[in-house]
Amino acid sequence: MTLDDVVSEIRNGDTIAIGGSSLSRKPMALVRALARAGRKDLRLVVDVGGPEVDLLLGTGSVAAVRYAFVGFEVMGLAPHFRRARQKGGVDFEEWTEYTIMAGLDATIKRVPFLPTHTGLATDVLNVNRSFKRFNDPFGGEELVAIPAIRPDVALIHVNYADVQGNGVILGDGHVDVLCAKAAKNTYMSCERIISPEELQRYGRDVQVLRVHTAGVVEVPWGAHPTGCAPEYRADLRHMQDYLISCGKVEDWQAYQDRFIYSDHARYLENQGGVEDLVARLKV
Amino acid sequence: MPLETPYSVDEFLITTMARQFSGEVLVSSVTAFGALSARLAKMRYAPDIAVLSTPESGMEVLPMPTLTLGQFLTDAQSGIPLSMEEIFDAIFTDHFRIWINPSQIDQFGNTNITCIGDWHQPKVALVGSRGIPEDTSHLSEIFYYILRHDPRSVVEHVDFRSGAGNGEERDHDLGRHGAPTLLVSDLGVFDFTGPGGRMSIRSLHPGVTVEEVQEKSGFEVYVPEDVPITPEPTEDDILIIRSADPLEVRKWESLSGPEAAERFVQVYERERQLLHATWPQLKR
Repeated sequence: MTLDDVVSEIRNGDTIAIGGSSLSRKPMALVRALARAGRKDLRLVVDVGGPEVDLLLGTGSVAAVRYAFVGFEVMGLAPHFRRARQKGGVDFEEWTEYTIMAGLDATIKRVPFLPTHTGLATDVLNVNRSFKRFNDPFGGEELVAIPAIRPDVALIHVNYADVQGNGVILGDGHVDVLCAKAAKNTYMSCERIISPEELQRYGRDVQVLRVHTAGVVEVPWGAHPTGCAPEYRADLRHMQDYLISCGKVEDWQAYQDRFIYSDHARYLENQGGVEDLVARLKV
Repeated sequence: MPLETPYSVDEFLITTMARQFSGEVLVSSVTAFGALSARLAKMRYAPDIAVLSTPESGMEVLPMPTLTLGQFLTDAQSGIPLSMEEIFDAIFTDHFRIWINPSQIDQFGNTNITCIGDWHQPKVALVGSRGIPEDTSHLSEIFYYILRHDPRSVVEHVDFRSGAGNGEERDHDLGRHGAPTLLVSDLGVFDFTGPGGRMSIRSLHPGVTVEEVQEKSGFEVYVPEDVPITPEPTEDDILIIRSADPLEVRKWESLSGPEAAERFVQVYERERQLLHATWPQLKR
């Protein structure tokens, strides 16, 4: 598949679960392709979100976000997220790290909810409209029911994949596997397509199984500007430029023209080219 | 701390944080202060802890302070890979400890990283509760630190409870088990053993007075009969911290805004060069 093939499978208003975590292994090339294609009213589900949520809010592609976190870690707050939260107009719902996982897991297990103590005695229970308190039918204890999250689509980026849709993740899997299993259709970009024979060498690092994937697309640097361990680090230089561009309407327009409304090859050229990225970011 | 000392405030705080760990638990090292305190604890105070790298969750590492260092920058950071499920299972079974740096903490130890003002129309939207609700509803010990103790961060009531403190609601929903345990600030060490689970002074850093604490807190902090002085770092503590953090990443943690971000970008590249030079990759 190509990036555009994947986008053509996604409709306005779809619920999209996105893998990765904060500045790590976000499927940014897929996310930019969604924005470029003008997809609208997307309903995002993220555990620890960051540049991907902020970008899609900035391009006006989003109707709703369920999130545990949206930020740029040491680099600061997420500017479009912050603006949208303060201004209104997007349906935000605050979840937490485990409850996003539990919601996806409930869908995988075909149960309507999973129980937890998470959120008790916090204000998350007061602002989250989806959680419900209930009493344990065995002992009577009060618990929280986390309803199933049912994504239409999951987007993840992995190190390697074979053409059948088995995905190798080296390092922290974040919530990618849960997203992949819970979504009706999972699309996976990867740094490199490998042969089924080569795949065999990775053992337990083959974290995404092909029965859960609908399509694979090879996109080197597909997580940029987030990192993809152990291939490359997050590009803080680019993120700083992004954050500054969000300050003024004309700067944000210029950023979009240069980095979003240009295909992935042009995107890489506009960074200064792959050689520059290798020199700065290869681990 | 007004005293002229051979160590800096950050080294004092990191040492104080390191001394709180004990037992065989997974220790998260999300921030530079968290990473350095975990490293120091592992080397000197709590050898049985299993330290996690960040943001990639390798276990059994000696973490280096870092801005966004991944698991694989050096072999020394690789560790044993853990999944999110394993980390949360360690939280649910109370085998996990973390130092959290909240935007606000209140007299009952409720903490906020979500927003300033009302959640529905926030004056400032911060980042979202992340995993703090999980931590505070399952761990028997929760550690907080703030780098600047002032009435804006140490408040009477937090604007939003991302993390559960003490009070009727905790007693009813979660029982007397658990968080919050400690707050370490630039003024002292505080626990939540005051009346009704309120913040109380455990010790004050050298040169800090009770009056200063009251002035810089958004409420009356409980003062017990005995207010000891926080023990200072030893020479070994200081040497370990300085050699583990030659680029002084720990100094940047209190900064924010575009200028700080620009500095992060610069130190980030130097970090890679330095770590490659000092911790060469072994052949896998």
